[in-house]
Amino acid sequence: MSDAPERKHSEVADVDRSLYDFVMPEEGYERYDDGLTPDIVRAISAKKDEPAWMRELRLKALDAFHEMRMASNWGPDVSALDMDHISTYVSPQTKQARNWDDVPDDIKTTFERLGIPEAERESLAGVGAQYDSEIVYHNMREEVAEQGVIYTTIEDALHDPQWEPVVHQYFGTLIPMRDHKFAALHYAVWSGGSFVYVPAGVSLSYPLQSYFRLNASGAGQFEHTLIIVEEGADLHFIEGCSAPKYYEANLHAGAVELFVKDHARLRYSTIENWSKNMFNLNTKRATVGADAKMEWVSGSFGSHVSYLYPTTFLQGARSSCEFTGITFAGATQDLDTGCKVILNGADTTASVDTKSISKDGGVNTFRSSVIIGRRADRARATVSCSSLMLDDISRSDTIPAMDVRNPTASVGHEATIGRISDDTILYLMSRGCSEAEARTMVVNGFANPVSKELPLEYAVEMNNLIKLEMEGAIG
Amino acid sequence: MQDTLLTIDGLSAGTEDKPILHDIHLELGSGQTHVLMGPNGAGKSTLGHVIMGDPSYQVTSGSITFDGADITDLTSDKRSLAGIFLSYQAPVEVPGVPLYSFLRTICQMRPELKTTARKFRERVGQICEQLELSDSFLMRELNVGFSGGEKKKVEMLQLLLLQPKLAILDETDSGLDVDALSIVSRGIEAYRAQCDGTLLVITHNTRILERLDVDRTHVMVRGHLVAEGDASLVGEIDASGFSRFEDELAAKGGVA
Amino acid sequence: MAEKLAANAATKLSHVNVPPAQTWNYLRINDIAFEVPAPVTKGEVLSRLPRLFDAVETGIGTEAASWIVSASGDSRYVEVKAGTHRAEPIVVDVDAAAGTVCDTGVLVREGAEATVVVAAHGTPAEAGTTAALVRIVAERRAHVTLVEVVALGKGSQHLEGIGIDAAEGAMVDVRQYALGGEKVAMGICTNLAGRKARLTQDMRYLARGSEQLDVNHVVRQRGRLTKSEIVTSGILADAAHKTMRETIDLIHGAKGAEGREIETVLVAGDDVVNKTLPTILCDEDDVAGNHGASIGSISPEQLAYLADRGVSTADAEALFARAIFDDAVIHAPEATSRNAALSRAELVLGTEIARDVAEGLGLDEGEEH
Repeated sequence: MSDAPERKHSEVADVDRSLYDFVMPEEGYERYDDGLTPDIVRAISAKKDEPAWMRELRLKALDAFHEMRMASNWGPDVSALDMDHISTYVSPQTKQARNWDDVPDDIKTTFERLGIPEAERESLAGVGAQYDSEIVYHNMREEVAEQGVIYTTIEDALHDPQWEPVVHQYFGTLIPMRDHKFAALHYAVWSGGSFVYVPAGVSLSYPLQSYFRLNASGAGQFEHTLIIVEEGADLHFIEGCSAPKYYEANLHAGAVELFVKDHARLRYSTIENWSKNMFNLNTKRATVGADAKMEWVSGSFGSHVSYLYPTTFLQGARSSCEFTGITFAGATQDLDTGCKVILNGADTTASVDTKSISKDGGVNTFRSSVIIGRRADRARATVSCSSLMLDDISRSDTIPAMDVRNPTASVGHEATIGRISDDTILYLMSRGCSEAEARTMVVNGFANPVSKELPLEYAVEMNNLIKLEMEGAIG
Repeated sequence: MQDTLLTIDGLSAGTEDKPILHDIHLELGSGQTHVLMGPNGAGKSTLGHVIMGDPSYQVTSGSITFDGADITDLTSDKRSLAGIFLSYQAPVEVPGVPLYSFLRTICQMRPELKTTARKFRERVGQICEQLELSDSFLMRELNVGFSGGEKKKVEMLQLLLLQPKLAILDETDSGLDVDALSIVSRGIEAYRAQCDGTLLVITHNTRILERLDVDRTHVMVRGHLVAEGDASLVGEIDASGFSRFEDELAAKGGVA
Repeated sequence: MAEKLAANAATKLSHVNVPPAQTWNYLRINDIAFEVPAPVTKGEVLSRLPRLFDAVETGIGTEAASWIVSASGDSRYVEVKAGTHRAEPIVVDVDAAAGTVCDTGVLVREGAEATVVVAAHGTPAEAGTTAALVRIVAERRAHVTLVEVVALGKGSQHLEGIGIDAAEGAMVDVRQYALGGEKVAMGICTNLAGRKARLTQDMRYLARGSEQLDVNHVVRQRGRLTKSEIVTSGILADAAHKTMRETIDLIHGAKGAEGREIETVLVAGDDVVNKTLPTILCDEDDVAGNHGASIGSISPEQLAYLADRGVSTADAEALFARAIFDDAVIHAPEATSRNAALSRAELVLGTEIARDVAEGLGLDEGEEH
């Protein structure tokens, strides 16, 4: 099937990532020392001129980080991640802009190459763009602002007397500081991210989008996203991330806290395409009220190592959660992804549908947990995951845990692992497709349930990613 | 005239959002064989399920009297113990329960069938032989992984074991090859011969009726019983289909 | 045996039934801990199994397996000669009254056929610890049938560790019946090492009261064209606590391997805790791995079908329980395992139905289907 896969692959891989893989100079940037000390944490806090409670929270989190250990009995290896060689704060010398013309040229060029301003003009209600540790651009359409929607940075919200109490009330309540070691790290050094507030009954017809770009080498990005969707409101939030490739480890340990109130709906879409030197230890969590709906759409393509399990607490009666995800692991990647759903309300429903594709020695682990609490009468959950193996040097593990404590609940689970059947390829080739086209077609079809959930430009981006990755796989 | 076993009087029923059966009147005499015919989707199976007490249908008016008692409000397990049997078109798979355990349990809960395990086993063995069903099926999980024909045979096995007063056979002939069909037909004959049971055969195919001595034929179109006749009606339908009945119903304005 | 265990001193086995791939520790699904009596050494020279059994991985884990080896004293080695069919089952009789802890090795030579029975039994009065370690090596084209019946009473804890190595063309048929015991760990690992080695495994369980059932099913598919088919079904009543780990490990090089597992759990108690970890590990592309699970009460369709045959909802749960005993009794190949299941049936189902189970299967006449 592949006569000279290595040579062809490296060729394509070089071309492949060019869209994301470009470096801008870091000259004149404010960069804090590598490593992690109380002084650095205080410096970040002072720079942000934040309330005392936040500074205390950071210092407490730092202690927790030093105290806590990663579990030794599961998960990808993160020993190459040495915090003594990671700068936790790197900031371009620029003020946050509301107009792309006010963004420094190199940064503006970066986001233009990523297509952000164009998407903003065409199909978004608002955009935030983060470059390394700070948000460099933030803007929202006027008609959306007029409806009372708030879309800003957490830093700005903390400086606003109206919103500081709200941030204080919600920040860090869904993801506890001691959730895991890197959640603690996040709280110690968080910087940037978004604060979104959608008032009751307001429905946004276009999505909001935040884009996270990590340009600096040997650095970390620790943005915090806090979204509150009030009763009966409706929001689609999109998150994109990328970084150029370096040989030094980069770290992403963001946190996303989502509060979906009664009768509200939130769709949270992510396309993550970090470079393959990135350790992506991200934490996302949503709590969902009665009759409300949480929808996750998640595409993971990048990073060297990922630990990523968006978590949903279905607290209110009749609340529901849909999780649609795809993970593509190629050479040198070890991606441990999945989700967690906790069904606590009566008549709650959860449906999880994931796909994974492994090739070139990539490792995919689908890890999930579905917990049905004692009071979740008639709760229903279905988990379905399928894994596609594109060669015999890759790996794909499926580790779904279930814990059911209500006799009236029902849980269904199915998992399949296999490869593209020779018959399918033969059939498509007999209709005139090349083998490469045939395989790409099958893989795209496999990924289709995910891409059809994405906004059009992201679906196109995802299909392109798959196409490029696939070309690398075939000689 | 024989005793009446089942009387359906002015019965209308349907699902929550849709009425299906309209003002059904039907009388089955003890020991008779009735045939209920009609095009696909006419509501024939629904009638069978409503007689059995399927909770997914609601009776909106009318009554069902069985063996002298009003059973309209009884749950289906009570109707079963009273002597009604409905064979399923698509019998449900019940993993974890060997066929033997199931058969033994449903027989032991009927005082008239209670017997020693040994006699029971002999009886089951005989019926299996009659139906050309290997007795290795007895230790397999109920209906799990059985072929269409095997499932139908297991339904016949229950019919012959339980010897109900009334057997409603819902499309028992659908999807069977010629051999299986003849075994099922023989099963039905055996049931008739053994206990002089009453039969309501629901079908849209006349092949299974060839070996049966039909007393009455009923025709259902769009939830209405539109015609009734003797066995000759079967031949007529065989020759010219249901369009005549559909036209008549439309002419009467009885379109639901 | 029993005298090898100190009456008071206790040892803690922290990691029993650890699956090959673990997950979040806070779920408390990665292992189970046991307090067991500490083995006593009296300086005797004890017979040990031939070394080849050291290489056989058991599902219960090395910590528990070593404890059984040291607590059991003498071991028992059985060899079934090449090409022979051993009609009489090899019985591992685990008696709660005697506090049995035993270590057994069975070598089934090329083309031979043998049945191994592990029967753990005891009455509610016989509280205490029992354990069995059984390692089986099946050579080329050997055929091994293993039947496990665990039918213990209240207050008893039991560890059962099984390891099976299957060489080319070997066939392994396993039937497991977990019918009772206060705290029971059953761990089985089958290594399909040879080409076309095959495993069928069928487990039925019933846990009720405050019983705790902890299971670790592992199949390592190393050989080309190996095949595994694992079916598990059970009922949880009252405040029973069950953890089921199922792992199909499709190892690099196992071209053409197929692994399939299906689990059905019927939950019939308000305080049941039901944990499941169905894992597929895959390091090979030319394989097919499948898992399906369904957890819940009896489905409305099943209830309707059963009701149409006269079985009410309450009767249905009793029918499911009885079915497990029917299945156990019919597949128990000899008296120890059969009696273990029957005496447990009497306790669970009542004398009348238990007798009916016994009679219905023709046991009173000494004939079988």
